[in-house]
Amino acid sequence: MVLLLAALCVPSVAIGNDALNDLNDSQASQLESTKQWQQTLATARGETVYFYAWGGSKPVNDYLRWAAREIASRYKVRLRHVKVADISEAVSRLKAEDGSKSAIDLLWVNGENFSYLKEQKLLLGGLTSVIPNSTLLATEELSLRNDFGVPMDGFEIPWGVGQFNIIANENVFAQMSITPADILSAAKKQPGRMSYPRPPEFHGTTFLKQLLVALSHNDERLFELATPEAQQQLLPTLWNYLDKLHPLLWQKGSAFPSSNTEQLALFQQNQQAMTVSFNPNQISKEQDEKRIPQSAKRVYFEGGAITNSHNLAIPKGAQSPAGAKVVIHFLLSELAQERKLNGSWGDPAVITPLLDEVSTLPAQQELHSSWQQMIEDTWQQRYGA
Amino acid sequence: MATKIRRLTLATGWLLVTFVAGLPVFGVVLGLWLSPPISWEQVSVFFTYNGLLSSVLSSLLLSLLAPIIALYVAFTVYSQYRFNPRWQALEQRLAPLLSLPHLAVALGIVYLFSSGGMVWSVLWELFGSTPPEWFGLGRKSLLSMLIAISIKEVPFFLFIFSALGRQLAIKDWLLQGRALGYSESASWWLLVFPTVLKQSRLALLAAMAFTLSVLDISLLIGPNIPELYAVVLYNWQTGFTADEQAMAFLGNLLLLTMLGVLVAAIYTHEWFAIKRIRTLAVMANPLKITRLARIFTAWLGLFSLLTLAILLTFLLWSLGWNTQSPFSAASWSTTLWQDEWFFMQTPLLNSLNIAFFSSVLGVAITLIALELQRQSKRYLPDYVWLLAILLPQLSMVYGWQIAHTDMSASYSTAWIVLSHLPFTFAYSYLVLRGPFQSLDRHYELVAASFGYSYWQRWWQVRFMLLRPALLSALAIAFSVSVAQYIPTLMLGAGRVSTITTEAVAIASGNEQSITAVYMLVQAALPFIAFFIASVLAQRLRGSFDAAHQ
Repeated sequence: MVLLLAALCVPSVAIGNDALNDLNDSQASQLESTKQWQQTLATARGETVYFYAWGGSKPVNDYLRWAAREIASRYKVRLRHVKVADISEAVSRLKAEDGSKSAIDLLWVNGENFSYLKEQKLLLGGLTSVIPNSTLLATEELSLRNDFGVPMDGFEIPWGVGQFNIIANENVFAQMSITPADILSAAKKQPGRMSYPRPPEFHGTTFLKQLLVALSHNDERLFELATPEAQQQLLPTLWNYLDKLHPLLWQKGSAFPSSNTEQLALFQQNQQAMTVSFNPNQISKEQDEKRIPQSAKRVYFEGGAITNSHNLAIPKGAQSPAGAKVVIHFLLSELAQERKLNGSWGDPAVITPLLDEVSTLPAQQELHSSWQQMIEDTWQQRYGA
Repeated sequence: MATKIRRLTLATGWLLVTFVAGLPVFGVVLGLWLSPPISWEQVSVFFTYNGLLSSVLSSLLLSLLAPIIALYVAFTVYSQYRFNPRWQALEQRLAPLLSLPHLAVALGIVYLFSSGGMVWSVLWELFGSTPPEWFGLGRKSLLSMLIAISIKEVPFFLFIFSALGRQLAIKDWLLQGRALGYSESASWWLLVFPTVLKQSRLALLAAMAFTLSVLDISLLIGPNIPELYAVVLYNWQTGFTADEQAMAFLGNLLLLTMLGVLVAAIYTHEWFAIKRIRTLAVMANPLKITRLARIFTAWLGLFSLLTLAILLTFLLWSLGWNTQSPFSAASWSTTLWQDEWFFMQTPLLNSLNIAFFSSVLGVAITLIALELQRQSKRYLPDYVWLLAILLPQLSMVYGWQIAHTDMSASYSTAWIVLSHLPFTFAYSYLVLRGPFQSLDRHYELVAASFGYSYWQRWWQVRFMLLRPALLSALAIAFSVSVAQYIPTLMLGAGRVSTITTEAVAIASGNEQSITAVYMLVQAALPFIAFFIASVLAQRLRGSFDAAHQ
């Protein structure tokens, strides 16, 4: 938690970055030449790595197809993307396997799924010390040590960064940074055209967290364990606000999109005037593909965008751990991170050589994890039926 | 010696049948066994979950109404088409109508007919205006869901009726009805409907169980304040805290109770319907329902039109069309098809391979189960055989996965075929039981009197007469196997990807162009199966077709 606090703001350390880069680069190449890594590379040759990852995004799938080709030619490792509709399917498999021989070599994970796997001791540790390119990670700048308040401790390696933002039609918001009041007045101006994904869907809950932080003026207690007093004092402002907002929403708040992707589809079909996203570059990718209006705008909450990372982890029972490490090593390389950022996916890089302060949104710290359950449960209690 | 062999064969047969029909229970028990202990506090938390009652009630209402509406519509359509030349057209077109995945139908209907949907926009545009906001189906509502499922299940029931009809002496009954002075449409309802209704119990139950537990459509077009029960349960099942696991356990028990309610509802509905029909028959009242029946002659045309509209929408999406640009200015391209085709071939072949073996085996084991029961002259209750359809799939497959892991078994196609087997078996049982049981024993008696042995009678009479129904069962089992996502993913562990594991994962991202590509390809497989079945079925004739046409 302290570490996360320390890395609250994305610092503007443009000077000195190059020096830092050189240092990281040389560290990485030093590590690459160690006997241990050479051994890993040798073991990995000819292995097949089964990578469990959400398969719902064409850009991500295409990116992994590209990565598979590169990895095969560079390291003679075969990367197979096992597409799942929800990563909890992979977690459920690991639970059934219970630490024994696993069908999964690598998985794309974060948040509560990671927290569960780490707690159950189902993940391989010490990744940071054995994967050379992990020295490139912009750990301080992007607050990459914690995953929703749970220390990563080398049980997972950041792969990309998400920053909560809203994509809306041009006439919805006047400013680039918005307040809860802006959303309310936009909803009044265009009744029935705004909405958010139904909590406990992750994007929907994050939307509520952003509102809560803004409405309680960044109250410190939100970043600590949610005590009954703090709840009693802070949460009512959110519910009062939602009581006013919901009747103005899409379908008068009697239905919500099930996910961010569904809301994006509704936005594309012009059924709604806004959608939420964790990818700050999603807007430009959607515009490139001509799926949303060229005039659409990206906005974020005035206090900053809730920022978190999505990560890679290796199960303890993985059959090709060496191969999986090689895959992570490649996915953190400048080549792979650059392609991820500038290709059709547009997912922000996590390594210092590619840090881009200009396109990074100001970051807002995650709330203490105890608030999440509180918000979701009370939302269900008040609006769920 | 001969009796010994006979006994041994019988024992092996029962063992095999019990194994396949018992796999679902095994999975559920093993899956739930490992649940953490439940405290009273958790039970009270469960029952005070906000919206639980309304979730349960709306799910029950939906699962009850949608299949029953579909059944009535399908029966009316069947009665209007069966004995006229249009029947051929209907049978031929059932294949494409059946093979669109549920999700595709739901997506298509909502896209076309929701408020602000394509159809209304185009209609209103003809008069230079825009449709009013309130006009059309809700994007997310119980009504939209009810309509989508009712529409989608009609061809399923028609398919079942068409298999049933080959075994029933409908033409004779109608003649008798005429002799008694009833009009033809009255005879359909008074004489044919009661039998058909009883014989369709299983199909009705399967449709209800499906509606009760279907997840993807519920998420997409179902209401979510409150959510449908399947979604609530899924959220618990995918959670990992002890509390969520406890909720999931209790939730599964509640789901089973709801199924029990639906079974009771099927019998109650049947009782009421038949009582009502008896009363009407005695009173010799003209049936009001028959006046409406004429309208249903338009069903084939309308439904074909709808299917075409949905297919066209998907095709346009897959070629890059979207709402952002006017039709003429859209950037049409086949790149998506070319890109994906390369990656689709292996999954397609896997799907074909798995579906072929699991459907053939499923139908064969169904025949064994039916024959064994015929020999022992006692048919076990249907639900015993349909557990794969009735029990919650996620818990079932989770149990299998644990067993599979404990055996350190390989992730081969054979295991996937085995995991599909309970489902293909249950659905073939659903299709075959009626025809098998109602097969006229007369033919076999005649054959026996000519000195045919047991096996000869079985192959040359019973099997031959069953061929049309067997084809239907194979086609259904094939498409059921193609549609399996959870068992394929969990036992294949990604080593064996099928077109459905790909399609479901991709559809979870709601990207319309690529979802459309995969849905179209996914629909192609059952289409081929149903098409082949219907072509072959028209060449063969069932027992009553032979006797009564």
